[in-house]
Amino acid sequence: MNLFRFFAYLSTGMTYLLIFIGGLVRVSGAGMGCPDWPKCFGRWIPPTNVDQLPEYIDPSKFNIVLAWIEYSNRLFGALVGVTITLTMVFMFRDYRNEIRIRNAVILAFLLTLVEGWLGAVLVKTVLNPVTITLHLLFALIIVMLLIYASQEAYHLENPNSERKSSYPPHLGKAFAILAGALLLEVVLGTEIRGGLEMIRKENPIIDSTFLLKMLGPFKYLHTILGIIITFISGYLWFHLVKKSRFSSFLMIQTSSIILLLILVQIISGEILVFLKVIPLIQLFHLWIASWILGLVSIQYSLWKKSQVTNE
Amino acid sequence: MNRNIIFIVASVFLLGLGASWVINKAGSSHHLPTIKLVPEFSFKNQDGDLFTEKRLLDKITVLDFMFTNCPGPCPMMTHNMAGLYNDFAGVSEVQFVSVTVDPDNDSQKTLKEYASLNGVNDQRWNFLFSGIDSIKRLKRDGFMLFADDLPRGHAIKFVLIDSGGNIRQYYDGTDKASMKILRKDVTVLVKKMRS
Repeated sequence: MNLFRFFAYLSTGMTYLLIFIGGLVRVSGAGMGCPDWPKCFGRWIPPTNVDQLPEYIDPSKFNIVLAWIEYSNRLFGALVGVTITLTMVFMFRDYRNEIRIRNAVILAFLLTLVEGWLGAVLVKTVLNPVTITLHLLFALIIVMLLIYASQEAYHLENPNSERKSSYPPHLGKAFAILAGALLLEVVLGTEIRGGLEMIRKENPIIDSTFLLKMLGPFKYLHTILGIIITFISGYLWFHLVKKSRFSSFLMIQTSSIILLLILVQIISGEILVFLKVIPLIQLFHLWIASWILGLVSIQYSLWKKSQVTNE
Repeated sequence: MNRNIIFIVASVFLLGLGASWVINKAGSSHHLPTIKLVPEFSFKNQDGDLFTEKRLLDKITVLDFMFTNCPGPCPMMTHNMAGLYNDFAGVSEVQFVSVTVDPDNDSQKTLKEYASLNGVNDQRWNFLFSGIDSIKRLKRDGFMLFADDLPRGHAIKFVLIDSGGNIRQYYDGTDKASMKILRKDVTVLVKKMRS
């Protein structure tokens, strides 16, 4: 494995962890844990005592636990930024002429800069809901780009990995629809979360589970789109695993794990809607959605590779 | 292969444990100090009724000091207070108090007009007035807010008072993020009161 691939895999893994930490900030209500940006209460290391606060910051905002949750998201985000930058450096060394790898990595790098800026906007706007959704959406796109670039590099080094496979040729549309549906599903999911907060503002005393009942059609849209996603994934699995004369091991695994994770999503989603809004389940519900997106990117890249190889 | 699966499952489990710890820690991290008891006072509200510290008991109160002609931060404060007043409309335990620091200009009638201008239509938001000396004393000694140069030098703080008449926390009444925290703290106190 060359250094580019090493750093591409490392960035992918770290971005996943960052998405998890970002979700943790959200579910633990720590988004405003540091009321300023990029420093935290005017310091590079968050203060331990309310007396250390600068005069222009309202002391009622100080909560050391929330400050550290928010700040760890920023620190780890900076680390991921460095890793993605290194990935780009090695891309220029190893794959300068591979246009698809180059474009994907450069785009991922640029979006990483945008993510940092969005973090600042979030604090400035006291967690504007649209910005929160964009912040997540860009993270998901970054992870998909990194996976795509890693896969392309893998195929360049292992040109025969999908030589024996024979997948049906006309699945491109299904993949495109699936990717779009998944991203839309994530947006709808954050809308449910955001909608809950809007209603809570006007009904401060009522608990989340009851609030969910007041939310109306959004949560049904989320479910309906979920059913559509399940069908498309099942359709892809059927053609890529069942109906293909030969499927690579990686393809069988990827396609099957996608279905398994969708099952997990259905169960966790129903728990959230019908039983109780549990923060830990909310967090995993979101995180697993990001896994599914990554796995679909791999699935697509394997299929695409076999199409090119067998032309 | 099996070892990979075990590794992944174990990592996810550990992440879940860690996250669960963090979420719990965040949930219990919020500390509302008990600062001091609001002292006795005897003011009048916009309807001319007597309003004393006893009216603070068995209610969660958000209180500020303002005056109706104030050009600076007060419109923002009143706007924020009105936002809370509307959001907590269904919660009878919560009340709002605005004390004028300019009793020369803010008569009962002026305050009454100012109240209805800001959509006050019930007993949940009282606008209080008294002699300037008692206002100064209450502000400086009772609420530990500066009161030297009234009405101009009035504080922009919102004060949260619990059902026992204790001052619990001060918030920047012009700051959006502070208002979010105040909203949450009021909710915590109401839930505690109801349980």
